Amino acid sequence: MSPLERHPPSSAKACASCVRRSWLLAELSGPLEFLARDRARLHELLALEDDELLDAVAGRRRVELKSRHERFDAGELRLQAGVEALCRHDPAYPQALRDAGGPRMLYVLGGARRLAKLAAAPVVLIAGSRRASDYGIEMSRSLARGLAAAGITVLSAMSDGIALAAQLAALEAGGRTHAVIGAGLGVPPPARRRGVYERVARRGCALSELPCGRPGRTWGAAAGERILARLSGSTVIVEADEGRDLSTGRLAQELGRTLAAVPGRVTSPLSAGTNALLMEGALMVRGPRDVLELLYPLSTPSATAPEDASPGRSLSPRLRATLERVGMGCDTPEKLTAVGVGLDDALLALSELELMGLLGRGDGGRYVPRGAFPPS
Amino acid sequence: LRRPFRAPHHSITTAGLIGGARRGCIGEVVLAHNGVLFLDELSEFARPTLEALRQPLEDGRVAISRARHSAVYPSRFMLVAATNPCPCGYSGEGELCRCGEADMARHRRRLSGPLLDRIDLVVNLHRSDAGELSTPAISSAQAREQVSAARERQAERLRGERISVNAQMDVRLLGEHARLGEKGKEMLLSARESGLLSARGEHRVLRVARTIADLNGSERIRVRDLGGAIALRPEPGLAASRAA
Repeated sequence: MSPLERHPPSSAKACASCVRRSWLLAELSGPLEFLARDRARLHELLALEDDELLDAVAGRRRVELKSRHERFDAGELRLQAGVEALCRHDPAYPQALRDAGGPRMLYVLGGARRLAKLAAAPVVLIAGSRRASDYGIEMSRSLARGLAAAGITVLSAMSDGIALAAQLAALEAGGRTHAVIGAGLGVPPPARRRGVYERVARRGCALSELPCGRPGRTWGAAAGERILARLSGSTVIVEADEGRDLSTGRLAQELGRTLAAVPGRVTSPLSAGTNALLMEGALMVRGPRDVLELLYPLSTPSATAPEDASPGRSLSPRLRATLERVGMGCDTPEKLTAVGVGLDDALLALSELELMGLLGRGDGGRYVPRGAFPPS
Repeated sequence: LRRPFRAPHHSITTAGLIGGARRGCIGEVVLAHNGVLFLDELSEFARPTLEALRQPLEDGRVAISRARHSAVYPSRFMLVAATNPCPCGYSGEGELCRCGEADMARHRRRLSGPLLDRIDLVVNLHRSDAGELSTPAISSAQAREQVSAARERQAERLRGERISVNAQMDVRLLGEHARLGEKGKEMLLSARESGLLSARGEHRVLRVARTIADLNGSERIRVRDLGGAIALRPEPGLAASRAA
């Protein structure tokens, strides 16, 4: 039997016109994809009423879609098992999404009750580049781990790079996460993301504004930014270039959400966006503690995350020196020997630090510090 | 006597590598017996061809079975392989790498699994370290001396067992000849507990640590020998997904 069940209109929480809206968006996927490059315009279009949207983008299919739109029966759409449909007329619909630019419909894998529970804790959005550096990945992991351990709900897109690392780390820390998915729920994700998707479904919520099983393509991810930026109280951009990576942060800024960024190397194009945000006055984040202090300004008891206890404190001087050197860019045994450490000593220290979980391996086997190095 | 060195091209077929194209036709793994089999561009070899290496790597022999004949040949060789870290070759060099996460996943999949599990040492080479190639720490002649001395040590130790090198030690011999001190045991235990090493990986690390100790001329496996073996183990970077 197919996992898709007949969606009985009677028990549906969503009203027919909102379900119809999500159907319309899926039908207009082609022209919307064409417009996805200009995010501001896409977001403007998505704020339009059905009729206006049809006039604006349907093109040659306008007449056909209009008549189908009029005859639309909400029973046509099927819900995947475990998915609940919520529309903005539902009292359970998240308050943050109710403004004019927010989506009309939300499909929630995990259910509305879990969504409400997740939204009751402070929600922090972790966003950034899809093609992040090892530094970005590790920073994203350490932030998500620390925040999840402190009981904060971690929100991110379901995309590669920064977002995926954040989801995984938050789940590993036993936290609960939201993921906003650009495609409809139930569209099989690529193999490398399948495990995370399943774990999010088990412990957290996956959200989409498209009907189950409808592909979202690029515009779906761009549209998902509207949900991401709205659902979170604070947004942390971990690593972003100056192009599209920044769009989520810009949107959060426009909505008046707290925007924070992780600083990066000035010479790295991958950090150009985050550094620019900091220049413009975004708050600087060096680790989970900084985010927690941002959420709880006077250090209340909950403001100390167990994960954020400085990892270098109890280390022997030898290991501490190695950890510092790796943090400064001597990330291969060869480079460590070049600054005068014996090869044997370098390998031993690297292995010990790796066993302690203070170092990980990145691209090309380079060593990467896990978590922010404590400002001592 | 010269030991064989075989370096087949990556377009080689399974029959070419293993043997059995015609009656009596032996493959590269048999020709490399007691020598070195060098596979350049490992990720470009056909997957089934690489999988066929499992038996010779594990048992030191290949059994070829065809409809009209079957034969078993010895093939105990040292496998040396080289590969790019990603499809474009610039992974780990910062912004130079143009590979997306999907490309990386595909590349890792080709190298993951049982074959990688049978490799003992992985050395990552970085472009930025290339300058040091011109000034090697020790000369080839010195390295040769060290290796011969280490092999003699091993042969001496293993004389009663009818094998001559650490690579051939089984679990029982490892327990006998590759004992660790308290600190070393602790390290290995924490490696097991943190999930960095599997049971098979632990034996491999012990074997490598024994060899490093032999190269350093030490009868005891010191902590630094073990540290080196752990740093050279193959799992990270290659098989593991980056985000995981």
